[in-house]
Amino acid sequence: MISARALKKCFADGTGGELPVLNGVDLEVKRAEFVAILGPSGSGKSTLLHVLGGLDIHYQGEVQVAGVKLAALDDKGLARFRNREIGFVFQSFHLIPNLTAIENVLLPAYFDPRSINGEHRHRAEEVLSRVGMIGKKDRVPAQLSGGERQRVAIARALFARPKVLFCDEPTGNLDSVTGREVIDLFRALHQEGLTVLVVTHEERMSAAAQRILRLRDGRLADELDPEMRE
Amino acid sequence: MTLSSMARLVSLSLRRDRPRAAFSTFGVAVGVGALVFFVALGLGVARVIREKVFPIDSALVDVVPPAISLGSLLGGGKVDQATMDRLATLPNVLHAYRKMNVRVPAVSRYEGAFFGSHLRMGLEILAVGVDRGLVEKDVQLGAFADPNPGEPIPAIASSRLLEIYNKTFAPARKLPQLSPKLVVGFTFPVEFNRSFVAATSDGQVMAERLQIVGISDRALLAGVTIPLETAIRLNRSASADAQTFTAATLVARDPSAVPKIADEVKRMGLQTDDQERRLAQNAGLAVALTTSALALLSVLICVLAAVNIAHALSASVRARAREIGIMQAVGASRSDVRLIVLGEAAAIGLSGGLVGTIGAVLAAAVVDRVSSSYLPSFPYKPDSFFSYPLEVIAGGIALGMIAALSGAYFPSRHAASMDPARTVAE
Repeated sequence: MISARALKKCFADGTGGELPVLNGVDLEVKRAEFVAILGPSGSGKSTLLHVLGGLDIHYQGEVQVAGVKLAALDDKGLARFRNREIGFVFQSFHLIPNLTAIENVLLPAYFDPRSINGEHRHRAEEVLSRVGMIGKKDRVPAQLSGGERQRVAIARALFARPKVLFCDEPTGNLDSVTGREVIDLFRALHQEGLTVLVVTHEERMSAAAQRILRLRDGRLADELDPEMRE
Repeated sequence: MTLSSMARLVSLSLRRDRPRAAFSTFGVAVGVGALVFFVALGLGVARVIREKVFPIDSALVDVVPPAISLGSLLGGGKVDQATMDRLATLPNVLHAYRKMNVRVPAVSRYEGAFFGSHLRMGLEILAVGVDRGLVEKDVQLGAFADPNPGEPIPAIASSRLLEIYNKTFAPARKLPQLSPKLVVGFTFPVEFNRSFVAATSDGQVMAERLQIVGISDRALLAGVTIPLETAIRLNRSASADAQTFTAATLVARDPSAVPKIADEVKRMGLQTDDQERRLAQNAGLAVALTTSALALLSVLICVLAAVNIAHALSASVRARAREIGIMQAVGASRSDVRLIVLGEAAAIGLSGGLVGTIGAVLAAAVVDRVSSSYLPSFPYKPDSFFSYPLEVIAGGIALGMIAALSGAYFPSRHAASMDPARTVAE
């Protein structure tokens, strides 16, 4: 489902030089697999997620997600890929403040070639029900708790029936109880057949994932890889 | 992204920051409103000049003998019947009408009833005789021909003279204002070959009566227009020149042929009297220049509105960087982002253009109302000083859109070039 080969990504270090963040990352994630990538802050987890999700196009190497080679897509193709093939869940929820929960969930539909119709609304209600937020669909984010906001964000990510869910520190802004509820939700979604890739620095996420990878020094290694263990 | 989706996103964005949107819209409305107001004022005043002050028939060419010419010393340069025959056969000339001044002075001494008032007056009168065809469409009473002895001479007064009488003379002398219909039929005495100020010829004073039979734009401004045969008869009776004509009026087949006819007339050793046309053009030019200066000022206001929109949208785009990143994360392309920002500007421009145009129309209505209620009456005072052709309305709205979209050009490019990976991470 996800394949990355020799991924390299550098940032300018502010002195004219380059700071490597991803230094030859190889990754294979199978269909319906739940993978967690762990690593300390600044290790390049989010960068890796953005590259895999088609948000960052400035990299070296090959990336293929859901059978789509990202390097072959132009801006419109990448937008369509993000709209239909994948869903993003961010640490800070990233909901639009003046939109209600259901309008936030409908946001991907605005970039669909078809006009927003009853089918879209029905789907939005369906995913809100799935995450347990249908009762608060008309509330704006300011009227929701952190956990509720993240549930709405997850509903938005699920709206277009994505093949892969990319999650960037999804429990980072939640207390332990709410975080556990969100982790349980990811586990349930995975059991329904969704491919889930989570990047996090929280060890508690590892309990839910089938496979744990660690990102260190710009490279990925399986948790069980003896060479990467300290 | 469909148009309805874009409209919805634009609406959401504008509603979120209503003060910014309202301020930007206000800027566009002021510029567009000022432009529409001044252009409509210029067009309205130009219309008054064209239709009332100098109602020039664009197909007419007035021909006069040259003021000084070697030809006239040698007997040429006159407008006689032979000249008229030649003028009538010039290319593109439909009709050639003769004009002859009554070449003796005339006065009118009147004392009696005057439309419900008592009037006692004495004034010098100028009279010009013209061919019937020149004014026949304006004749409302009887035939425009030399009358039988004892009958009044049919006379046509100038519509502009009536306007000046109504707006200045009548109010000053507390006389009634007269409509063209009311004036027709009014008869007053005239003594030809008599003057209060000028020397007269040796002949006898000819006592006649003039009867107004019509009001015309083509009539002599400061005098009366009578049948040509009458003018010839009066001149002959006063032993004045009754052979040569004072002027001729040619009617062109088409206004576009007037310059060619004028050239032909000059080649014949004659001149064209385009004083009125020049006055109209000069007045029109003065109005156009004033209007242009005010319109330029208004366009500058629109430019300032565009700059304000550029600043406001740039600030908005910076403030919404994360939101734009979110939209890109869920499927917005760079062109979608750009369209949303341009859509916001278009909405501001459209509403600003509409508000400005409506405001200009309302302001014009207020000015017209104040003018009709509080401004004293004066000659050619119009019911409205403004003219609003569809092009001005559409142009105002289009200008609002252009100003707003121009202002949004760089902010929209900036928004589209944002790196979503960076903005969602911030």
